[in-house]
Amino acid sequence: MATTQAEQRVSPRAVQVGRRPARRARNGPLAVGLTLPALLIFAVFTILPTAYTFVISLFDWNPLNVAQSRFIGAGNYTKLFGHATPSFAASGLTSLYFTAGMVIGGTALSLAIAVLLQRGGALLGAVRVAVFVPHVTPLVATSIVWVWIFNPQFGLANAVLHLFGLSGVDWLDNSATAMPAVLAYSLWHEVGFTVVIFLGGLSVISGELGEAARVDGANRWQEFWYVTWPQLRPVTVFVVTISTISSLQAFTQFFLMTGGGPVHATTTLSFLLYQEAFVFFHTGYAAALAVVLFVVTALFTLLQFRTRRSSSR
Amino acid sequence: MHVRPGGAPSHVRRRRRPAGPVVRRVVAVAVGLAFLAPFWWVVTTSLARTSDVYRFPPSLLPHWHVANYARAWAAAPWPRLFGNTVLVAGATVVLAVLTSVLAGFAFGVLRFRGRTALFTVVLAVMMVPQTVLLIPDYVIAQTADLLDTYWIQILPWGASVFGIFLVRQFFAGLPTELFDAAELDGAGRLRMLWSIGVPLVRPAILIVALNVFLGSWNSFVWPFVMTSSPAVQPVEVGLATFYGAQGTDWTGLSAAVTFTTVPVLVLFLALQRHFLTGAYSTAGGLK
Amino acid sequence: MPQSPLTRAVAVLAAGVLAAGGLAGCGAGSSTGKTTVTFMETMSSGTLKSSMEYLTKQFEKQHKDIDVQLVVEPDYPTLRNKETAALAAGKPPTIGQAYSDWAATYAKSQVLVPLDGYAGKADVAALYPGVRSDLYLPSDHKLYMWPFNKSVVIQYYNQKMLSGKGKSAPKTWDEFAATAKAVSGHGTVGVSIDPGTSAGPAGGEAWFEILAAAYGTPVFASDGKPRFTSPAAVQAMTYLADLKKAGALSLGKNYPGQVALGAGKGGFDISSVASYFYNQQAVGGKFPMGTAPLPSGPAGAANQLAGTNIVMFAKASDQEKKAAWTFMKYLSSPDAQAYWASHSGYLPVTPAALPKMADFIAKNPYQKFGADALKTAKADPPYPWVTKAQGELAVAMQSALTGKQTPAAALADAQKQAAAEAKSGE
Repeated sequence: MATTQAEQRVSPRAVQVGRRPARRARNGPLAVGLTLPALLIFAVFTILPTAYTFVISLFDWNPLNVAQSRFIGAGNYTKLFGHATPSFAASGLTSLYFTAGMVIGGTALSLAIAVLLQRGGALLGAVRVAVFVPHVTPLVATSIVWVWIFNPQFGLANAVLHLFGLSGVDWLDNSATAMPAVLAYSLWHEVGFTVVIFLGGLSVISGELGEAARVDGANRWQEFWYVTWPQLRPVTVFVVTISTISSLQAFTQFFLMTGGGPVHATTTLSFLLYQEAFVFFHTGYAAALAVVLFVVTALFTLLQFRTRRSSSR
Repeated sequence: MHVRPGGAPSHVRRRRRPAGPVVRRVVAVAVGLAFLAPFWWVVTTSLARTSDVYRFPPSLLPHWHVANYARAWAAAPWPRLFGNTVLVAGATVVLAVLTSVLAGFAFGVLRFRGRTALFTVVLAVMMVPQTVLLIPDYVIAQTADLLDTYWIQILPWGASVFGIFLVRQFFAGLPTELFDAAELDGAGRLRMLWSIGVPLVRPAILIVALNVFLGSWNSFVWPFVMTSSPAVQPVEVGLATFYGAQGTDWTGLSAAVTFTTVPVLVLFLALQRHFLTGAYSTAGGLK
Repeated sequence: MPQSPLTRAVAVLAAGVLAAGGLAGCGAGSSTGKTTVTFMETMSSGTLKSSMEYLTKQFEKQHKDIDVQLVVEPDYPTLRNKETAALAAGKPPTIGQAYSDWAATYAKSQVLVPLDGYAGKADVAALYPGVRSDLYLPSDHKLYMWPFNKSVVIQYYNQKMLSGKGKSAPKTWDEFAATAKAVSGHGTVGVSIDPGTSAGPAGGEAWFEILAAAYGTPVFASDGKPRFTSPAAVQAMTYLADLKKAGALSLGKNYPGQVALGAGKGGFDISSVASYFYNQQAVGGKFPMGTAPLPSGPAGAANQLAGTNIVMFAKASDQEKKAAWTFMKYLSSPDAQAYWASHSGYLPVTPAALPKMADFIAKNPYQKFGADALKTAKADPPYPWVTKAQGELAVAMQSALTGKQTPAAALADAQKQAAAEAKSGE
């Protein structure tokens, strides 16, 4: 179940548009009236603001004194490709690192756990709940817990390494390990949701094909690879898309666990946007970042619609 | 990948068993414990004396030192923060369910000119990430004098694309005849929506409500940017503030994390069937 | 519109939501003939919080017509964020804590009131000279700030651990390095620091600035220009990198020096005098905690005058401004400063407070050498880009100390960024 507001906006892609026979009654005014409250909220807080972002991105905006703002045209956009640190390109790569980790790692991990936990009795049911629980916990609360887990001197993570005779790691304080550490936390938090999506997918696929494959002498792995997984294709596409979009937007764990550091190693586009807008108050530049982020997300969304349409043919 | 126990040829088996039962259970339990370990760790820390915490390797047994809870509880206006969260989440749920049912009914049952166009608008809303909205909505809230109020935490989330889709989907799945009973005027159709429609789509409403409630409860960056006084701030922002101010008091922090998270966990455990059904039904729609 | 159960339900729900919104108004609180002064500050925990609240209450007792509301933020980056947000929303507090470079930014946007009309000559003359010079902005040489919480950096150390190795508090940075290395090992680290991030430089970054000054060149010239690539800065960074390599220095977050010292796993904590009560509580009497002035470098003793001043925002009414000034002046009065210094750990901003806190000074020698340092400690110059440039230094430290870049290369990068920022900020 989606638990962030971002996901709420995303999940519906799961639901197919059904075809209904024509209804004869004239419902125009009523229908418009019924959709109006929702559309009004979207208009005021989503649609107009999106356009407004574009306007702000053309200004050297002074939030302290708007009268001192200057129109600079594409100035903020050319700055995106300038020498600011962390550069737009570097943050893009950091976002890509995180997103790839979440999408590839998350999909593989949740698929594996789903296969492990499918069907089965009360014990496996309890494990399903255990895997899902982290997903309903607030990101603020559990990010704090994981900062403590990753404490190099007294934390659980190094205690586990110690148990296996390995030496401790600086986790969040080393630019090489900070992102893997945030990824570990984020996977812990997000995987429960995608596991359940895969379980839902596994519960409705046909078992007969698998039987047939086994009759033909396929082993478990071949059965999974050639028979089960292909049937989960729409579910996988959904999981990949939702993970991509929510990873691009991830912010809270970076804010609390690393503050974008060390050495910008965890400054993703979302974090950079926040930092430029609400720490350094380079509002116009941040708005330009937002426009780019919007275009990237919209492209992913459209791509997903495309894939969906072609896969359902 | 795995050695099958016994010598029976595989095609004789009727039941589908992806792994040997014992191995599978052991692995499953290990996975479950791995996911639960952070919970155990934070509760243990919250009950430890400071001298137990700064020890390596750490002790994994709780010491029942409940003074940490008293200290953490006294350090911030938690009841007010909890109240704010419940109020904001509750009002958001009411508003989002209402707008979802109305719009979902219109899109799912009624046929009208401009339906496709309006629906495309709703689809387009999904393409806008929350992060993008922070800046313009902040400026709008500033202009409309909504900064640091409950309103700016409620209104923007009072319409949910997910909610509209789900409700619409449920309505679309109902037999056509239900709403064809008579030629009705607008008010008649509204009554019909209320008396027949709403009870039939109750499962969808519950899923939407849970979704929106958790989304609101767990949200951080939005209220963090839009509000500044504890009088209207939700508990998660209060927790982040507490972390900023008392970042070295790990036992107290762990206590605060525990008592702020328990309400969400209780809600989840009480209603976990619905949560899981919600996720399942999301996947079901993918077929 | 005809009444139906649904429309009624809608009406009831709408009313409920409206009522919810109405509650929002409750936070503000309307005045009851009193003048309200809102003060945005960061005294959010420990004795800082309690002594701030105590002083406010005392003031309200003396001035029955003024109501002071403290708006508390957890840390300085958040404070700045919220001050700017409130200014942007057109609802700034009456007064707020501010570093001098924030004040420069605010003044440039014309949202501050100069205090020349409020502070008399005698008021200014009563302050320490170092404190005084930090109150004016170079843009128009007007008085924009009034001092509040001033601090310098000192060394805290585990006496038992040091004497176990036959050492005492080091007098030079070379001795410090030798001692830190001597106590390290077996889970103990000489000193733990938090450089902070680009968005929020922290205590470790301040230490670096002091080291650079102790090696001969402060990192900011008096006109605010960054000088991060000076031989002194590179030496300072190399010094820290060597400690890290030797396992005598570790990086962390959230006052790691205090945590390690308190846990008996750290030899030193290089930190502000404002950490005194926190450190004492963390140590909790498990061993004697020593305090000493910072060691000196080849160029002599160096220290940083840190802490913030108070600024007054332009939006307030004349009456509110007057009341706010009364409060600001009260906070810097010898009595209030004597209480503040002996309960918060900060240093008094006026020497007139010293006789009123003789007992405390006798028992807590750090206040004595702290106040001595106040005479020579330098504050970073008040230019809008300074915090951002400090953020670049924090990043350079992370990079150099984790071996990602050489000290010189990391500093060169930071210099490039900071110089560009200074140029666009002019």
